[in-house]
Amino acid sequence: MATLSIGLFSSLVGSMNSDFALKLAEAAANKGHTVNLWFSGNATTLARKGQKSFKDYSYLIEKITALPEKGVSVAVCEACAAARGIHKAEVIEGITVHSMDWYVAKAAQSDRVLHIGGE
Amino acid sequence: MGKEILFVVSRPPYKSENPKLAITHAMACYVADIHIDEEVEPIMAFVADGVLNCIKNQRSEAFYGIISTEQHIKNQLASDMKMFVCKEDLQRLEIKEERLIDGKDMGAEVDLEMVGFEEILKEMERCDQVMFF
Amino acid sequence: MRLGVFVSDLRGNEKMLDRLKAEKLGVFLVENGIYHAVIKEDGMISPLLQKEGADYYVLTEDLQTRGFTSSEVDSKVSVVTYLDVVDLMMNDYEKLVWL
Repeated sequence: MATLSIGLFSSLVGSMNSDFALKLAEAAANKGHTVNLWFSGNATTLARKGQKSFKDYSYLIEKITALPEKGVSVAVCEACAAARGIHKAEVIEGITVHSMDWYVAKAAQSDRVLHIGGE
Repeated sequence: MGKEILFVVSRPPYKSENPKLAITHAMACYVADIHIDEEVEPIMAFVADGVLNCIKNQRSEAFYGIISTEQHIKNQLASDMKMFVCKEDLQRLEIKEERLIDGKDMGAEVDLEMVGFEEILKEMERCDQVMFF
Repeated sequence: MRLGVFVSDLRGNEKMLDRLKAEKLGVFLVENGIYHAVIKEDGMISPLLQKEGADYYVLTEDLQTRGFTSSEVDSKVSVVTYLDVVDLMMNDYEKLVWL
């Protein structure tokens, strides 16, 4: 089994890239791969607690919280999150808060990296 | 020998956060060894409309109060980061070499290196990982 | 280099895809990129599908989300699931680019 790192930079609302990244991470974990998932830039909004479900917008909180239970390491960029008013206390349990060096370190040692840039 | 990551920037600066995030993630490579037992070397390549990040005399600090992409690029050159700019895209956009950021302003010993897209493809193949911004 | 390229838009990626060269090239059509697999414009298939030697894949969930079925997909393109994408990424391509 191999290691896949996915970097996501698109926002929770306004882009379907987030849905894609989460489904891909889940599929890779189900296949037995080690998966790292990094939220940076506008993707840090995915990590925030208290998201409300509306049928017109992607609602991913259940998928996000299920990923660590499947062994996926999910981390959010501390500076990008703080710039958007999301501090550690507001981050969903199971998601870790790191600086960018975490992601590039994980990526460097991965077998595959899929870096999904922002808008 | 550590790992090498190529950061490819294909979008112009400022409207999108992407190019700046490429730069900050590249800089983060220098401290990545606190997480893993090897060094991570960043390399940057500006391609397509991303070459517009490399034009000098940017004044974002004066008008928007944010550090310019130019300043970030100069800091990276001062850290001896290898940075390529695609020659064909510079020609296509009629950007002459004298319009490009000069690393020597910050005392850097390396400068932006103009190379053909073929060279950037070779770097994509050679580096351990590629991140396309 | 074995390169997998993800295309998630209908417009704006043609030039960059055209410039990317690899011994083995795979193009993953996802999100709005799926339109390249099913739409003809002025009677012509997408220029994106005309890259010599490339393998093409379209994500079935994104295809169906947008009202298309696998029967409408161009014969050059294989219809794949998320699990197939994982296998292809891990086994067939070493570098991945999201345009």
